[in-house]
Amino acid sequence: MELDNRIRKLQDRLSYIRDIFGDKENANIALLQARLDEFLTQERGMSLADQMRHMAQLEDLFLFLEKKLDAQLTPMDRVRIVRHPARLCLKDILENVYDNYTEIGGQDEYSIDPSMLIARAYITRRVGKRVINQPVMVIGQEKGHGQEFRNGGSVKPWGNAKALHYMKVAETENIPIHSYVFTPGSYPIEDYPGAAQQIAKNLFEMASLRVPFVSVISEGGSGGAEAIALSDMRLMLSHGYYSVISPEGAAAIEAKTRQGERVAPELIAKCARQLKITAADNLAMGYVDKVIDEPPLGARVDHYDFYKTLRNEMIKATNQVILQVKGMKLFRSLALSERLARKGQAVDAEEVFVSWNLSSKARENLVWKRHQKFRRLAQTAYMDTRTFGEKVVGRFQGLAWAMNSYFRYEFLRKHQRKIKRLQEELEAEVHLVRNKVGKPIRAVMDKFAGGRPQTVSEEAKTSLTQLSKWDDKGGLSNGKWVYTSPKAKEDRTVTCPNAETHGCLDLWAPDLFGEYAGVCGYCGHHFTMEYQWYLHNVFDQGSIFEFNGQIESGNPLGYEGFDERVAEAKKKTGLKSACMTFESRIENLNLVVAMLVAPFRGGTVGAAEGEKFVRAVERARRKHYPLLAYVHGTAGIRIQEGTNGVIQMPRCTMAVQRYIADGGLYLVLYDTNSYAGPVASFLGCSPYQFSIRSANIGFAGPGVIKETTGVDIPPDYHQAHQALSRGHIQGIWDRREARKNITQALLTMGGRNLYYR
Amino acid sequence: MINVKELLEELKASPYELIDIVAPHTGVVEFAVKEPGLKVTGAHGAYREKPGTLIATLERERNKKPIRATLTGVVECFEAGLAGRFVEAGTKLATIRHYLTSKEVVDLILKKALFLFPAPERAKYYFIPEIDKKMRASGKNAVEVRDGMELLIMSRMKRETSLPYKGPDGKIYAVYFKLGENVDSGHPLIGVCPGDQLPLVQDVVNRVRSEWEEHE
Amino acid sequence: MSAAHKVLVANRGEIAIRIINACRKLGLGFVAVHTREDMHSGHVRHARTHGGDGAVYRVSSYHDANELMAVADASGATAIHPGYGFFAEDFRFARRVVKRDRPLIWIGPSWGVIRELGDKINTKRLARRLGVPTVPGSDRPIYDEMEAEELAQSLFAFQADQGFERHLVLLKASAGGGGMGIEEVERMDTFRSTYRRLRNYAKRQFQDSGVLIEQRIFDFNHLEVQILGNRRGDAHVHFGTRNCTIQSTGRQKRVEVAPGFAPGELTYGFDAGKVLDDIVEYSLRIAKEVGYNSVGTWEWIVTPKGDPFLMEVNTRIQVENGISGAISKINDEGPVDLIKEQVRCALGEELGYSQDDVSFDGLSIEYRIIAEDPSNRFTPWVGRIDRFAWEEQPWLSVLTHVPTDEPYDIPTEFDPNLALAIVKGKDLAEVKARGVAFLDSLVLAGEDRAGQSLKSNVAFLREKTANILEF
Repeated sequence: MELDNRIRKLQDRLSYIRDIFGDKENANIALLQARLDEFLTQERGMSLADQMRHMAQLEDLFLFLEKKLDAQLTPMDRVRIVRHPARLCLKDILENVYDNYTEIGGQDEYSIDPSMLIARAYITRRVGKRVINQPVMVIGQEKGHGQEFRNGGSVKPWGNAKALHYMKVAETENIPIHSYVFTPGSYPIEDYPGAAQQIAKNLFEMASLRVPFVSVISEGGSGGAEAIALSDMRLMLSHGYYSVISPEGAAAIEAKTRQGERVAPELIAKCARQLKITAADNLAMGYVDKVIDEPPLGARVDHYDFYKTLRNEMIKATNQVILQVKGMKLFRSLALSERLARKGQAVDAEEVFVSWNLSSKARENLVWKRHQKFRRLAQTAYMDTRTFGEKVVGRFQGLAWAMNSYFRYEFLRKHQRKIKRLQEELEAEVHLVRNKVGKPIRAVMDKFAGGRPQTVSEEAKTSLTQLSKWDDKGGLSNGKWVYTSPKAKEDRTVTCPNAETHGCLDLWAPDLFGEYAGVCGYCGHHFTMEYQWYLHNVFDQGSIFEFNGQIESGNPLGYEGFDERVAEAKKKTGLKSACMTFESRIENLNLVVAMLVAPFRGGTVGAAEGEKFVRAVERARRKHYPLLAYVHGTAGIRIQEGTNGVIQMPRCTMAVQRYIADGGLYLVLYDTNSYAGPVASFLGCSPYQFSIRSANIGFAGPGVIKETTGVDIPPDYHQAHQALSRGHIQGIWDRREARKNITQALLTMGGRNLYYR
Repeated sequence: MINVKELLEELKASPYELIDIVAPHTGVVEFAVKEPGLKVTGAHGAYREKPGTLIATLERERNKKPIRATLTGVVECFEAGLAGRFVEAGTKLATIRHYLTSKEVVDLILKKALFLFPAPERAKYYFIPEIDKKMRASGKNAVEVRDGMELLIMSRMKRETSLPYKGPDGKIYAVYFKLGENVDSGHPLIGVCPGDQLPLVQDVVNRVRSEWEEHE
Repeated sequence: MSAAHKVLVANRGEIAIRIINACRKLGLGFVAVHTREDMHSGHVRHARTHGGDGAVYRVSSYHDANELMAVADASGATAIHPGYGFFAEDFRFARRVVKRDRPLIWIGPSWGVIRELGDKINTKRLARRLGVPTVPGSDRPIYDEMEAEELAQSLFAFQADQGFERHLVLLKASAGGGGMGIEEVERMDTFRSTYRRLRNYAKRQFQDSGVLIEQRIFDFNHLEVQILGNRRGDAHVHFGTRNCTIQSTGRQKRVEVAPGFAPGELTYGFDAGKVLDDIVEYSLRIAKEVGYNSVGTWEWIVTPKGDPFLMEVNTRIQVENGISGAISKINDEGPVDLIKEQVRCALGEELGYSQDDVSFDGLSIEYRIIAEDPSNRFTPWVGRIDRFAWEEQPWLSVLTHVPTDEPYDIPTEFDPNLALAIVKGKDLAEVKARGVAFLDSLVLAGEDRAGQSLKSNVAFLREKTANILEF
């Protein structure tokens, strides 16, 4: 009986190995198979003792070869490991790493989103004579060993909303958060609160969450992972992956396949390799802080030793985060290292007690540390062609602006307020006196004047025909635009896509792209326009001053063939990256603008774009200017930069969070297709997002939605009006009125200084 | 009462319609169809997002426009002689033999069972904005009409007059006019299903479903 | 003149016929268009008779510029005459005609002129600069309550001063349209509350609180000045004035008379001769300033006190151009075909005469004969015309696209004009008598689908003839 069990186990292990290595031929696997078959055929003829002996040998062989195979794992094999139903799940972790837990708001499929699991858990241990109970909030995706209703850990927007809710609860309770990332990516659905917008909200809130936050990544699929992973300490399981996109998705994009077509497995494997998605890669790039070693070929449900390791690591990581910000840091860390030195081996975290309660000041410190941590990331993933001198000058200038702003807005304000109040009171007094004295006289005058018509003098009559005063407003309206699109230079006509339903006649291109600014004169459909149109027709003439132009997009992963493609984009557009940052004026109001430009590789965001965005936000903060993110178009994170791109989601969002918390006014304006990562982070988190009528806004495009969910979506699924109906954006503007509306937004939302406080 | 059975037999005898594809405006024609007999489809897909089969292109002012099949069927004939030539608006380009679907058969029969509200004058018609909005949002069947209710706007001679509905109360079952097209006086504008006729309508639908075989 | 020119007649009905005739007089080729609805219109027949099948093209719509361009290219047309209505005053169309890769000659003022004078506010701005009086109004959206009140006050004062019986100030939401957001104010005391109501409505409805402050004038005479400029826009002549005061309730012209007043035969409460001279001089002043380079009409309001105010400029040939031609002579030859002059100048010919060579004699009346019911707010009548006939006279010309030899169904798409009748006489008494005689001789009968017999405005026209040019 026992032997049967052991045989079955070996058979399971072998079939697992086969699953992991896919269709690849491998001598070691063949050997295992042969030896197992041999044992099975010879088994009957052997004595029990022989059987046991052979069995033990066979098990040893398995152990030996599994180790050997582990060294041969390719990135794609690792993808298969984390997706395997035998892979450990969050429930297993809750049961084995923690001492007690209660699941919050879910009982298998009875949950608002069974793929997101929340639990209040305890770590209980005895240190010396004391029994210590340390509560944590555990948040993570549950794949449920292939349970269908878990959706493979692909979380719907409301699942992420629940996660955010309990992060805030943990903040109130002042307990640490442990998050476990087991997701291939978020479920691409736009229903409120919206896949992208909810992730953006999560990132925004996590940026200032005032409790220690440790996250562990097993399967880290892009935005879905970020939704619960903006943490103080990011651990990664050694056999996991953390990537901007699934290798299949990347391959589909590379091969430019259409919906439903299959991509060659070789290309998928190649993409997996190129994207640098393994734990070791991410550790090297600095996007995770530590890798936790798993048993050979990955941790599965019954690897009980691994749970102990994990528990140890979680306690240690939490302690570390806390010690970083707690007083007496030096003493504590000294204590830790002393033990380390004495034993000459890994310290057992179980034996170290650090209180997980933080004072208010320490909590503030924690948030500041988190900001700094992310600010420092990805600094080598873009090209900066400035000279050393220029960089130094740039740094000093920033400091000078910050000082200037401090005096203008902080110091002087306090005193000014007093003077102002005095002045207002005085004015009110004067007004009152004047009214009291003036009233009777005016009443008499009115009596004389009213009733019968006044006679009109010749002079008055002439003036009557010249009633209104003309103020010749030059320039931008009446279809006379400063910039004319090159599309307006061809003698041809264009058919409006709404022609069938709205009866629009064909439009003459010079009219349509010239005077009409790309708006159908019959139905108001907005054709897309070049970003230059906005640069020249929205902002004050000659007021654009670009900065950080020398920060250039590169190829940080050394992705094959990508150097040429970036060079080509630079040549085609004359830009150095998809993000142009500049200072400008609208109706003489200063503002900082970060613009994502669609023609440069689809307006995708990589390390250079992220860095430029962060710097633009910082500049706006230092100078106390409002900030406009003008999204001419963005297709998402630039996949060829891998996690160098993904990490821009938390980085940029944190910068924005700090700016807004500081009192900044952050406006977002979408123009054409705006999708994925950027919308799911630093764009989607703005309280004031507007859209030109031409925009499509969403998390994933129609192809990806069909691929991942199997659902056909209506053609207008992402159209701006739908986004407005779903509550994702705050308003829709006519392109021709963009300038007027931005001014209006600045004045009504920005208040006196175009900056809240 | 109408004789559904008889009508059905009549339709079964000639289960198709010939539909002319005409040039919507002037331009130079090129045919995508190479010979008659080609099977064509109209726009389809869950949201009619997949376009119909390309019959020809019509180029005017450097804008080559596709002329597509509007319905499923077979190309009966096409005017090959016009290829490469400038044609006037309304010139016949091709004819499609369209086999009636059960839904169309239902509509045809219902046209005899419903109350048809006729156009009083030759004019263009459209629904008043509230009704139009409601129809766009929840479909034409969502609109209940009552005698004397403001329903349509009649537009002719550059003047617009509102046209109240006259007839039995009920639900709008069919709309027979298109936006921007003239309707001759006496032609039906909408088909209304009075409350007491509902069982009959259901009966028609059921019978056609069970008896009509769709031609592939 | 080059006979190689071919004119695309981008219009329908009687004006298309007149343009075709002008082309024939000048020995030019022409090509006409029609829609499905309009297959049986007289202009199609006329074009076919004089130009053959190749001179007629069927298009999807007269309103589709692309159709006209495509036909122009397919037929080898070199110039395009827009007539009136449709694209006549569409500067974008005129611009496209001359800017396309295969440019055509635009028979009308150049697009820049159409744009400049097509914008009423701009026209007023220009007029004021030249010292030409214009109808008072805010001319631009007002956002400030004080300014609005000031304006309204002066408008009421103006109306009182001009001796109007009824005073009325109109408030219009500047972003509104189609009759939405218009309020009337008759007294200053109700102005503020009305203004605020409208402003808030506009803000809510159109997201713009701008309000235009204008006036409605009831008792005035509507006069016009006919101008012609050469293609360079540096030589101008006028062809006198017209009076278009007799209108339907919808402010559509029904009877027009040239000249604008008859100071020799009627007495006015002001110096009518001087008013006519003034408006001609003012009109020419503006024409010279903008370099007006085709036919055009300057429209004027004359108040009971005899003060003229410029309303707008129509940068096209007018329906009623025939009466100006009828009373005009060039070097003692008349009548003048203004459309012919327009085409000739557009093709680059010099005027060939000056104002001194233009003389005027007699009076002329134009009647617009329309199937409509004057007793019921001039509601159009639609149906089939069975009989349409009149007595030909040397002093009469009837312009129509309606066939007189077969029944004709009135299309519902277009202006309801059936015919224009132009009557000429040496003095007021004669022209009035002839007008009545013509109207009496007119036979117009038909039936609609309901079997009702045709309704027309003939009785209305006859009744109005009695008091023409009186003010």
